[in-house]
Amino acid sequence: MNKSIYIISLFLLFSVQLFVPAQMVYQQEDALDTGTAYKFKTQPIDPNDPFRGKFIVLNYEMNSFETNDQSWNNYKGNVFVYLKKDAEGFAAVKTVSKTQLPTPDDYFMAESNYNFNGKVNFDLPFNRFYMNENKAYDAEVSVQEAQVDTTKTCYALVYVKDGTAVLDNVFIDDKPIQEFVEAYQDKRETIEQGN
Amino acid sequence: MNTKLEKQLAELLEANIITSDTAQKILAFYHTRAQAKPNRLFTIFGVLGALLSGLGIILIIAHNWDDLQRSTKTFLAFLPLIIGQMACAYGVFKNKKTAWVESSATFLILAVGATISLVSQIYNIPGNLSSFLLIWTAITAPFIYLMRSNLAVIIHLVLATWYACDLGYFYNSHVPWWYLLQFAWILPFYISLQKRHSESNLAGILNWILPLSLVIVLGSFTNGDTLVLLMYIALFGLLYNIGQLPLFKVQKLRRNGYTIMGSLGTVFLLTILTFEWFWKDAINESFHARGLIITALLFLSGIAVIGYLRLKKRLKDFNLFQYAFLIIGLLYLTKDLGAVHGIVLTNFLVAGLGLFAVRIGINKSSYGILNYGLLIITVLIVCRFFDTNLDFVFRGILFISVGAGFFFANYLLLKKQRKNNINSTSNTASHE
Repeated sequence: MNKSIYIISLFLLFSVQLFVPAQMVYQQEDALDTGTAYKFKTQPIDPNDPFRGKFIVLNYEMNSFETNDQSWNNYKGNVFVYLKKDAEGFAAVKTVSKTQLPTPDDYFMAESNYNFNGKVNFDLPFNRFYMNENKAYDAEVSVQEAQVDTTKTCYALVYVKDGTAVLDNVFIDDKPIQEFVEAYQDKRETIEQGN
Repeated sequence: MNTKLEKQLAELLEANIITSDTAQKILAFYHTRAQAKPNRLFTIFGVLGALLSGLGIILIIAHNWDDLQRSTKTFLAFLPLIIGQMACAYGVFKNKKTAWVESSATFLILAVGATISLVSQIYNIPGNLSSFLLIWTAITAPFIYLMRSNLAVIIHLVLATWYACDLGYFYNSHVPWWYLLQFAWILPFYISLQKRHSESNLAGILNWILPLSLVIVLGSFTNGDTLVLLMYIALFGLLYNIGQLPLFKVQKLRRNGYTIMGSLGTVFLLTILTFEWFWKDAINESFHARGLIITALLFLSGIAVIGYLRLKKRLKDFNLFQYAFLIIGLLYLTKDLGAVHGIVLTNFLVAGLGLFAVRIGINKSSYGILNYGLLIITVLIVCRFFDTNLDFVFRGILFISVGAGFFFANYLLLKKQRKNNINSTSNTASHE
């Protein structure tokens, strides 16, 4: 191979390798800076990924939309979910569509696999929240305990812009989940030391 | 210098078998080979170092340092990638040796994965493991040709296999089509390697991991009906025949992963096919077009390789292992005639393969192949022990005959070897 073509190809490859993660960063930062913040009610569970570490999977309450449109029956594929805020300030579905609509409303794409009886079900894409490996499991346990004992609300703060949805943090009664877990771990240690 | 070698040379000199000139030449030859060795060791340790530190970075990242700010984490995410790129560029501009090229390429490939992982983690970017592995292999694949790095090929294949398994086996409705492209991408490199350096270590390793990757991944292209067994039989038949190509056949058997995997796979699956359930299920099964097309393609490829071998006049001795997959294919096509002929003929086929391996073992004077053949027959009989309505006496006689067969065949080979030894000694004596 010609030396100059070789060098150019090598640097092109280097640029692609830099561009891919940089573009990921740019898209997310843009949505975080200028996107609209929505709160999604959720519940966490804890699995792990060999490369990206421990994360909690978020089971969202908002996962379906009722419609009279029969064409949704047995539909499988991507669905555009348009958002609004409910009376309590949490995210709610305004409408769903198979194609992009000419409205200024915020939206994101979700995958829909099972639709019947006028109900469109979908999985929200931002369902992974990466956590410190020492906190992920306790996050699941502490949130479950908190929800049994009281009426604490667990929600995910998501910024949405032009179809990009960035999960910023998970809160339990307006307290970031990291702080909530730390408080839970401190409390547990104190009890264990007392025993 | 190797004192053992010096001692042996002194003994040969004393016995007047070699001249002192030859002894000097032998010593000089091993001396130059020993000089070349440190470089190879350096490469191995360099690559190991890069591999371990790259994997270490991934693990440290996976911990998730939530005390750091988002911007600091993002900066740190790009650090290993930039270091890796600088190391590779330095190696290219300074024309560094293999050790540098291999280590820096290995490190960079892992750094790319680490950076994407960290960015995904910082911004909680959705996406499962398979999509991550796909992007990772896509933006590191050109390294195979640009850096001509041996380890890049191996890492690429491992990641591609992982991608296909994650998508195909864990998300059942998804077929890992991109795997085909990932696999095809390394073929030109592999073929040119086989043509130019077929004796190299990498060629030997790839002769194993290439077919192994195919064997692992093939199942992810099907829906799990009985056709999957037929599909694998076709694949093992194809692999065995590829192993018979002149390029691979001249190599040592342990370097020929195609032949070994093809043979073991064929025997294993055919043994399963000697049971009744497979043929009964096969009659009632309805198939998906994708499975049928892939199976047909594998059979046609196997036939094409046999055709090529015939064209090149490489099929002088009949070898049942090469045709076993075709026989099963024909039996499968006639499955609607009933299960009985399928079961009976498959039993005969497995027994035939066992006997054939015994024959090859005796011809090649190889105890390994001889006993492999006997083992096939034994496994077949053990299977029938649980499966048939034969009476105890008959089964007892069968077992005794196979046991005697073991002794007799091994004795026959031993006798043949002794005879050969005597012949060669007498030939040497007559020359003197």
